[in-house]
Amino acid sequence: MELIFWILSAITVLGAILAITLRNLIHCVLSLILFFLGIAGHYFLLRADFIAAVQILIYIGAVAVLMLFAIMLTRHVTGDEGPREVLGGKWWAGMGTAVIIAGLLWAIIRKDSLAQTLPAGTAATSVAEIGKALVANWVVPFEAMAVLLTAALIGAVVIALEEVIRKR
Amino acid sequence: MNIPLDHYLMLSAFLFAIGLCGALARKNAIIVLMGIEIMFNAGILNLIVFWHYRYFASVTAQMFAIFAISIAAAESAIGLALVIAVYRHYKSVTLDEMTSLKG
Repeated sequence: MELIFWILSAITVLGAILAITLRNLIHCVLSLILFFLGIAGHYFLLRADFIAAVQILIYIGAVAVLMLFAIMLTRHVTGDEGPREVLGGKWWAGMGTAVIIAGLLWAIIRKDSLAQTLPAGTAATSVAEIGKALVANWVVPFEAMAVLLTAALIGAVVIALEEVIRKR
Repeated sequence: MNIPLDHYLMLSAFLFAIGLCGALARKNAIIVLMGIEIMFNAGILNLIVFWHYRYFASVTAQMFAIFAISIAAAESAIGLALVIAVYRHYKSVTLDEMTSLKG
């Protein structure tokens, strides 16, 4: 089990680092898919099967494909970012902030007595229980999420079509 | 499973820092969105980890994770639509070139 954890962690961290450092945007999205797969593997390891399936379906099936479409729609050629500098003007500020946040979180986690915590029980939550909870106790947030997703869909179409509407 | 809880928390903190670095340091707007997605995933991983170690019988944490993933998907769709709209206007997705609001 521990070996699987370390392998999955290595895959996840590698995917994340490659996703934000590679020059070719398509390669960035492929690394992001590797990162999402690693996270889904962690969910399987933590026995959250349904969340793992949701992760694969939504992140790899929808978000990553959406990003690929966005890249193809915004590049003349789907190559690298060209000879210009990849990093933004104040890149050192961003990296410094990230290092400081990582150090702070590391210190906080080490300080706490969380290390001794071991898994609570053995009765895993089944998918049927999640389904029942979604339409019983959680029905109002569920419907609100449906409205939000519809609004996001319409909003995305309106924003992306703006220019076409103005021309007519 | 004998993996201590803090291993997962440190992994999550590290992933969050990587995502933050990507969101702050890169020029391309799509990579910035990717960094935001990495940060989202680090947070959701924390939810599932605490569910596994503390509230294994409860369904609440999984609900939170599902709603967080849905909101992340909506955010990503809107963000990429904005990137496409910005690209129509500037013919570029480089954030340093979007200087219309600069005083």
